[in-house]
Amino acid sequence: MELKDIKEGEGKSFEGGAHVPHYKSFTDNIPISRMAPPAEVIIPLQQHVGASCDCLVEVGDKVEVGQKIGDSDAYISAPIHASVAGTVTAIEARPHSDGGEMDSVVIETDQEHSEFVPQETRDPDEMSVDELKEAIKEAGLAGMGGAAFPTYVNINTDQPVDTLILNGAECEPFLTCDHRLMVEKADELIAGAEILMRCIGAKKTYLGIETNKMDAIEVLATKLEDRDDFEIVPLAVKYPQGYKSYLIKTITGRDVPRGARSAALGCIVRNVGTTFAAYEAVVYGKPFIERIVTVSGPVVPEPGNYIVRLGTPAEHVLREVGVDPDELEGHKVIFGGPMTGLAQSDLRVPVVKNITGVLVLPPDMVREDVSYTDCVRCGLCVERCPNWLYPNQLSILAEHGIYEKLEDWDIWDCIECGICAYVCPADRPIVHFIKRAKPIVDEM
Amino acid sequence: MRQPQLIATPPPHLKRRETVGGAMRDVIIALLPVSLISVYFFRGYALMMIAVCLATAVLTEWVFRRAMNKPLTLHDGSGILTGLLVALLFSPTTAPWTAAIATFLAIGVAKELMGGIGWNRFNPALFGRVVVILLAPVLPFLNQTIMPWGIDAVTSATPLALLGQGATMPGSWELFAAFPGGALAETSPLALLVGGAYLLWRGHINWRIPASILATVFVLTLVFGASPVQHILTGGIMLGALFMATDWVTSPINNRGKIVFGVAIGILIVLFRLILPPTEGVAFSILIMNAFVPMIENLTKRPSFSEPRDSSAAAG
Repeated sequence: MELKDIKEGEGKSFEGGAHVPHYKSFTDNIPISRMAPPAEVIIPLQQHVGASCDCLVEVGDKVEVGQKIGDSDAYISAPIHASVAGTVTAIEARPHSDGGEMDSVVIETDQEHSEFVPQETRDPDEMSVDELKEAIKEAGLAGMGGAAFPTYVNINTDQPVDTLILNGAECEPFLTCDHRLMVEKADELIAGAEILMRCIGAKKTYLGIETNKMDAIEVLATKLEDRDDFEIVPLAVKYPQGYKSYLIKTITGRDVPRGARSAALGCIVRNVGTTFAAYEAVVYGKPFIERIVTVSGPVVPEPGNYIVRLGTPAEHVLREVGVDPDELEGHKVIFGGPMTGLAQSDLRVPVVKNITGVLVLPPDMVREDVSYTDCVRCGLCVERCPNWLYPNQLSILAEHGIYEKLEDWDIWDCIECGICAYVCPADRPIVHFIKRAKPIVDEM
Repeated sequence: MRQPQLIATPPPHLKRRETVGGAMRDVIIALLPVSLISVYFFRGYALMMIAVCLATAVLTEWVFRRAMNKPLTLHDGSGILTGLLVALLFSPTTAPWTAAIATFLAIGVAKELMGGIGWNRFNPALFGRVVVILLAPVLPFLNQTIMPWGIDAVTSATPLALLGQGATMPGSWELFAAFPGGALAETSPLALLVGGAYLLWRGHINWRIPASILATVFVLTLVFGASPVQHILTGGIMLGALFMATDWVTSPINNRGKIVFGVAIGILIVLFRLILPPTEGVAFSILIMNAFVPMIENLTKRPSFSEPRDSSAAAG
């Protein structure tokens, strides 16, 4: 089908999933802008899947913006950098958005010297593959769509991978940071994809974009008109279209068996934000010190897509968009999207590498009443589960502590997308039951 | 800084607005057309039957929940729905106490004693209906009828009985649109179809079950030389296919299972119709298959998306 014939909302898709109201109109037309750095950043020593970083600075040290302040010898890890210039005031456990505490470097911001200025501009075409990989590794890139898997590990494959998939699905409601990036930074995104293609040896790049972002599709289609190594794949607007396995299946038709490595599948999926960051890392030597965050919600006075320094506390983000954090009684503040993101109870938690959004949901959107009833076997969760599981069974077994049966129902295949709990007419917190049971099953 | 009292419940933070109570209310709405037609034909008899069953349903659920010290669930509407379904399963001349006992068995035994909605193995309304049939030989008062107040319609033989006797049948259109005879729900397949279409549109029932039942009955009656249209339009097939076999709790939860379930019910219905005496074959067929639901689900379980497949080996 020709791109111009695609209608909004239509496109290729996978079996399962559901339409969720997307609430993207708050921010999908608002250009990316910079948010002023906070008075103090809190930079956790681990912001990625893998090993935690060792701290490279001490209390009292002066740091430059972009200076590496944490690194690890472990293969699966990613260094961290000072997102502002200033003075290290503390290295201690601080509240983290996952609910616990994490060792963090606290830096008091020197507002005068916190702008990142590139030392040089490099031409990727004149760099070797190893130099490209090294630049990405040193920049501390990790999946920005949510997974936070170190990008270097992902692209450092032994054998060539023929296909690169750029994930521009952005299927979570409210979020528009990837959407705006594709509209405003199309050239840099394409250059970033070319860098990643060289790293993995890919011949072809597919851009998967949900068709509620027609302007992004148009901009990219115009720029890629004469390229046969790039193809835009319009995707149906359906949650969770952006999850890696379903994106691969939708775009390439390849099955994604459990445990399969990207290389074995012949394709690697990268979020568009990460791809843009790879471009900046290679061309400007810019470390991962800031990212685009969608700050949104019906009661946010100035919603938008803001470039936020990593380590910025939620409280600062909210004040900058006109929200008074003291007036949020009964609201929900979510880090990430509303389907999988976590509601925060402490607004001192910092934005980290994989935080796509900071959302404020008012009391009338918040499900405060957590009462639920027994499963009535309506079958909606089974029909909608993108991984074709039986969430009803998993939730009943977990609820009643019958943990030994959970593996028979493939509990490890659950990606925790939350569609089951979203559709459940009995209001059962199905995905919560499953998440809570996983560590117990793991111990058995 | 002072921390405001934020709500921090687990994700997902968005929720579809459908509830169990809303779905039950929709099923009750879907049963209104046929209920009204039965009231049109049978007047006070139909009204009394419905009133008795609804009152018994509410009272039974209330008493059982209180006795078992469980939270009251009347607001979810499932008890009221079961009461209405039981009423629609009876002929208007049935004695009210028979319908009341059937409702009591449906709610008290088939639902509440099994653990409440979600845990019952058998369709409560059909269970109540069938148990009074089975009890009738030993408890003759269950078979008593009340004398009609001069409404001709009530005394006429049911179309299903006519079909069994090989007597002259009313026209197909008449049978389809509205024809008095048999149980309340048998007065108008058209009204049931309208209700069923509403439930399909609202997404409360899955087309696979009614479609596979009706298709199976159609094909098998055709094969055995009977009239498919007349069979589908008589007796409880329409009510059974659209409202009973589609019951969430007592039908297979997966799509392939729903088709197996529907086809098996269709086969049983035709066996009952062509070989056994023409009484409540649909109810028995559905109840029998209710018992096989766990087995059907196991046999038709679809492997996880992540299960390695042959095609992936070829592609990899």
